[in-house]
Amino acid sequence: MMTAFGAAMAWVEGSGVAIAIRESLLLTAALSAFHLIGATLVGGGALLGGLRIGGVLFPDQAMADVVRPAGRAILLGLSISIVTGALLFSPRASMAVANGFFQLKMGLLVAAAACHAILHSRRWHSEDQASGFLGLARSMLYIAVILAGSAYILLE
Amino acid sequence: MSIPQIAEWLEGTSVAVLVRESAWGFPIVVAIHILGLTLSVGMVLWFDLRLLGVALRGSSVSAVYRRIIPWAGTGFALMFASGAILLAAYATSAHGNVYFRAKVIALFLAGLNALVYHRFTERHRSRWDEAARPPAAARMAGLISIVAWATVILAGRMMSYTMF
Repeated sequence: MMTAFGAAMAWVEGSGVAIAIRESLLLTAALSAFHLIGATLVGGGALLGGLRIGGVLFPDQAMADVVRPAGRAILLGLSISIVTGALLFSPRASMAVANGFFQLKMGLLVAAAACHAILHSRRWHSEDQASGFLGLARSMLYIAVILAGSAYILLE
Repeated sequence: MSIPQIAEWLEGTSVAVLVRESAWGFPIVVAIHILGLTLSVGMVLWFDLRLLGVALRGSSVSAVYRRIIPWAGTGFALMFASGAILLAAYATSAHGNVYFRAKVIALFLAGLNALVYHRFTERHRSRWDEAARPPAAARMAGLISIVAWATVILAGRMMSYTMF
């Protein structure tokens, strides 16, 4: 018997958008290409922000002057990646949710987004240890998301 | 030796055969390629944004370059080495692929843009090194770099879907 979750995944896979993507190799390729552009923005922002928080890059610049643009790059990259990722997910929803690397990627993404939201609410008013720890964790989590995403694509 | 003959020879090299025929060779090399891409393009983007005058304006252009390039350079080394291995493994298919040709043109454009920046635009950098908004030629170099690298990524991904 099909569970409600299984039925939802089957509905997603049967939607018009999913069918259009499944039947067009070029559309799938274009979505995947923009997904990678988004991931590059996320990775670049995460690296810059993480290296500044770790005191490796631009230690002479105010934390916010580096971490804020890095955070904006991450948000732009995430917006692109989430939209394209959701579209790429739709034709193979059932298979994706059963894949261990996909589950890991989503778990890491939720954790990274939680760090991002907490940091945003703190607005980097102070360069305290908690903000530093969260910023570093956010950077490492986003890079781990990219690694898990690569593993999912290559080993599924 | 013609280009198709070179492509066949490349595919016959031991490293190319290893990537094609081993279970883990291809995924490992592609993962290194993606990591290299994230490190290189993801970091060089910040130098491009500084040239455009939209980020890291508190540091001089030369300081941003000095600090970013070691990271981006490491990424480029990883990306080009893994890319060369992947190209060797599938040289014949790549040679006939339109997206591969677009990627090579975009790579050439990115390289030419960097060369023009370092040979000509940077010559008078002392005048605008600290400026929040560098001159038009420098801003154009930053914009061309972003467009060229985005094209490299787009064409590269399209290529992997249409090659096999």
